[in-house]
Amino acid sequence: MAQTEYIIEISLENKPAARDPVAETIKRDLLAKKGYDEVSKVRSGQYLRINLLANNEENAKEIVTKMCNDLRIFNPVTQNLNIISVKKL
Amino acid sequence: MTKVKLNGEEVNIEMTKDEFEKVKELLDRDPTITELGGFDVMWSEHCSYKSSRPKLKLFEDAEANYDYVLAGPGEDAGVIDIGDGYALAFRIESHNHPSAIEPYHGAATGIGGIIRDVLCMGVRPIALLDPLRFGRLAGNSHSQWLFKYVVKGIADYGNCTGIPTIGGEVEFDDSFENNCIVNVACIGLGTIEDFKHAPSRAYNPGDYIILMGGSTGKDGIHGVTFASRTLTEMSEADRPAVQIGDPFTKKMIIEATLEAVKTGFVRGLKDLGGGGLTCATSELTGDGNTGANIDLRKVFTAEPGMTSYEIMLSESQERMAFIVKPEGLEVVLNVFRKYEMAFAVIGKTDDSKVLKVFDGEELVVSLPAKALSESPMFKRAEKRPEYLERLLAQKTPEPTIGFKDIIEKLIASENICSKEWVYRQYDHEVGVRSVVKCGDGDSGVLRIIGTDKFIAASVGVNSKHCYLDPYEGAKGGLVEICGNVIANGAKPMAMVNCCNFGNPEIPESFWYFSKAVEGMNDFCRTLRIPIVGGNVSFYNEDEVTKTAIKATPQIMIVGIINGFENIITLPFKESGNDILIVGETEAELGGSEYHSVIHGLEGGIPPKIDEEKIQARWNLLFELYQEKLIKANHDVNKGGFIISITEMCFKNKIGADMDLTGYNIKKLRDDELLFSETVGRFIIETSSKDYDRILGLAEKFNVTVKKIGSLTSKPEINIKGLKQDVKLNINKMKELYDSTIPNLMEI
Amino acid sequence: MTIKIAVIQFPGANCDLDAVHVLNDVIGVETSLVWHNHFKEANFDGVVLPGGFSFGDYLRAGIIAAHSPALDEARIMLKDGRPIIGICNGFQILVEAEFLPGALLQNEALRFVCKWVNIKVINNRTAFTHKMNKDDVLAIPIAHGEGRYYTDNLKELEENDQIVFKYSTEDGSFTSEANPNGSLENIAGICNIEQTCLGLMPHPERASESILSPKQTIHGRIFFESMIEFIKRRLT
Repeated sequence: MAQTEYIIEISLENKPAARDPVAETIKRDLLAKKGYDEVSKVRSGQYLRINLLANNEENAKEIVTKMCNDLRIFNPVTQNLNIISVKKL
Repeated sequence: MTKVKLNGEEVNIEMTKDEFEKVKELLDRDPTITELGGFDVMWSEHCSYKSSRPKLKLFEDAEANYDYVLAGPGEDAGVIDIGDGYALAFRIESHNHPSAIEPYHGAATGIGGIIRDVLCMGVRPIALLDPLRFGRLAGNSHSQWLFKYVVKGIADYGNCTGIPTIGGEVEFDDSFENNCIVNVACIGLGTIEDFKHAPSRAYNPGDYIILMGGSTGKDGIHGVTFASRTLTEMSEADRPAVQIGDPFTKKMIIEATLEAVKTGFVRGLKDLGGGGLTCATSELTGDGNTGANIDLRKVFTAEPGMTSYEIMLSESQERMAFIVKPEGLEVVLNVFRKYEMAFAVIGKTDDSKVLKVFDGEELVVSLPAKALSESPMFKRAEKRPEYLERLLAQKTPEPTIGFKDIIEKLIASENICSKEWVYRQYDHEVGVRSVVKCGDGDSGVLRIIGTDKFIAASVGVNSKHCYLDPYEGAKGGLVEICGNVIANGAKPMAMVNCCNFGNPEIPESFWYFSKAVEGMNDFCRTLRIPIVGGNVSFYNEDEVTKTAIKATPQIMIVGIINGFENIITLPFKESGNDILIVGETEAELGGSEYHSVIHGLEGGIPPKIDEEKIQARWNLLFELYQEKLIKANHDVNKGGFIISITEMCFKNKIGADMDLTGYNIKKLRDDELLFSETVGRFIIETSSKDYDRILGLAEKFNVTVKKIGSLTSKPEINIKGLKQDVKLNINKMKELYDSTIPNLMEI
Repeated sequence: MTIKIAVIQFPGANCDLDAVHVLNDVIGVETSLVWHNHFKEANFDGVVLPGGFSFGDYLRAGIIAAHSPALDEARIMLKDGRPIIGICNGFQILVEAEFLPGALLQNEALRFVCKWVNIKVINNRTAFTHKMNKDDVLAIPIAHGEGRYYTDNLKELEENDQIVFKYSTEDGSFTSEANPNGSLENIAGICNIEQTCLGLMPHPERASESILSPKQTIHGRIFFESMIEFIKRRLT
């Protein structure tokens, strides 16, 4: 099968049940104090953008998900892996 | 897990069927689901000490028998009067199981927990210490991963809260591979006045109960019962039971709490740790002989719609409960407002002696306040393990390599080599109190600003010795850790311990605990060292392989030095001075690094303790200190005295010409002499002009003191008096000592 | 004419009490610990932004504290030339608040490091270094995880004499071994063009008492003595 280059963006975020002190502090001590009342919620995480060769979009997502699980790129105890977008290069 | 029927429904609980029946008996009815959750947590091993309490009763009553002990076991921290109007609070805790699953957050929240315990005594936490255990690092990426992230977790949390980590200890051994040990200790400093007004329990009806700090969320529900289960059974399902710490909020809590306490209106203080709000409220009222009326709707929660069960059992970090005099409510709340700490007045104390918790209109908990702390005790069976006979009988083979090679291997071995890689990651100077820093002494020494008084603290124990003989090993731990503070010139004042053992339901594992407690008890009573606190962590055992960790009763000693000029440090100071050894060496290679590193053996006869000899040596040292005759001091432990001497040469690149003829009184083999880990010996540097005076005093105190060498300015250690002379190059030794851990960890 | 110094206490500051102790008890100048929201510049002749982990170092070290009203007050002091020193986290805050140029990034080794280092005096004209000699080597400890100084305007800094200290060996060479965090050109501390505002990663308040120093030195004191001298000259 022909391999195409894809770009996948992922974020690693604290599980909803886990606390996110960084996000809480940004919202409470920075945004709320400086008048951004319209902000109701903030979550923080890490962002990665990965270029890879795959057969199709599904395959690209599969590879990245497996890679993140096998290599513990996100901490399964406290974080979730979130695929933001998949694009053909 | 036990299945029981509660109000017609089937429920899973951690406690046994018998315990469940006892709950029903106590209440004379079925408990509500929230009440049952409370008992389940409070009667877990970690919270109730049900397996250990019968044995711990052996310890003498420190508060009653020592006039300088202000608070003993049972309080949140032990407190001692150190003179000049100052008091020290200290405590040690374990956080083993969470750290094995999630080392960074597990270790970090462990630090968070111990800080809170000391803060509860109304004093400022000023130092942290962390004794750790992992599987061997070489070739083991799992152990390396645990080690790296536990250290980082402790560093990040401790550094962020501005509390210096001044000491610790690490041992690597196979038995800890799947059950790492993460114990954390904290010291707090205050005045006697601070302590007298220290908030303790809710002794007065009519006071407000205030929750302050982080919000209550769904994290860690049942985190405590998780610590009472062995890891392999529960691990996969228990993923959510590891919390994320927030050291920034903790730092704010420290400042807000200390300022609130200074107002004088805070009557009771308790942190919310294991067992959450349930534990805190029941301890405050139960110990205070009062009752309380609490409304859960007032608790500020992290997410909407939490059930009363979840709110009462949540173990969200960074929360404190305050008991406040009514006339001071606004003053205290204004302190919280200044630091922008969230708070809620959740109820009031009363004289009912009943803990009543409402969820709006619904009464969800109505318990006699003491009920939750009346867990049944278990008298566990103990049985000396059969493998010990064979192990103790192991003989030491003749070494097949030269002594120079042996000593080089030892100095580079994981349990002896430099741990600088670890302590460089800790801010050990914040607070501008650290006078003797990591590497310069056997203990960390802090000054008390504005006085000429210093605190010395050290922590540790030798697990390999305890494995072979927990009774002597526990005593040995006391000798070693007291020796650490004494080597810096301090008089040992008090002890706390952290007992890490296997499954207490297995007689062989419980035997280790029982003997260790007896050892600590006998030694402390004889040498008059009060035990002011302790912690027990059971179930450090891998169910699949049926191996428990090597018995690890961590000992922490705090001592006092009066006068800056009385502080002694470890490094050799001046070429030309004498090297003296205090204490005889016995043929005690059992559990030594020499056995494991060179011969791959775990057995042999471990060191035995003679209390009379130890006391005499300590008395002699203090006499020598009084006369200012000691220039450097290092107590002897892993690897034997030759390793201690080598370590003392490093800093100032001073060498030694040694002659052991005349020291081998017991006619030991050369390897027994050099590498035996006989406990309670010291290497001291003295001036040759004082030699006669020192020997005279040694005779007077009936202590063996021998000159075994002289310091030189050449970077070598030359050893004569063995079958073959040995020559060591100090620069090479230092390089070996310094590079082991960085090489293993720079992956 | 009593000189008054403020040490600003940001939420999460750790070295605030240390700085207050050194200034009050060792140097002997009237120093107050001021909660950041309560800080008013009119009451003070000089200000210290201490070390620590303001706001937990969350998002970026110093960024949230940089938005504190205390910095608006300090900006007035910056404009009229009163001395401002930012130590460690204080330096990070000054950089995020744009009192000083550049950025402080994660240490090269990606680990926190706590140890004593040597810094060489490059510029002895600032409010905090005029009692030092050019090329003096001072022994001061560091303790940080994000101390790697970076700027894309190095030329400008050099031309305006804004580089104040560089990490060096004991005999004054700028080797990479002497650089504990990978800072550009071994830069340990910088100042503003007017030479009144200093930011540095090492902690002079930890090097002001011989009992705490490995070689019993007290190089930290010169910073604060220079500041007092500078204030006295301004007021006369």
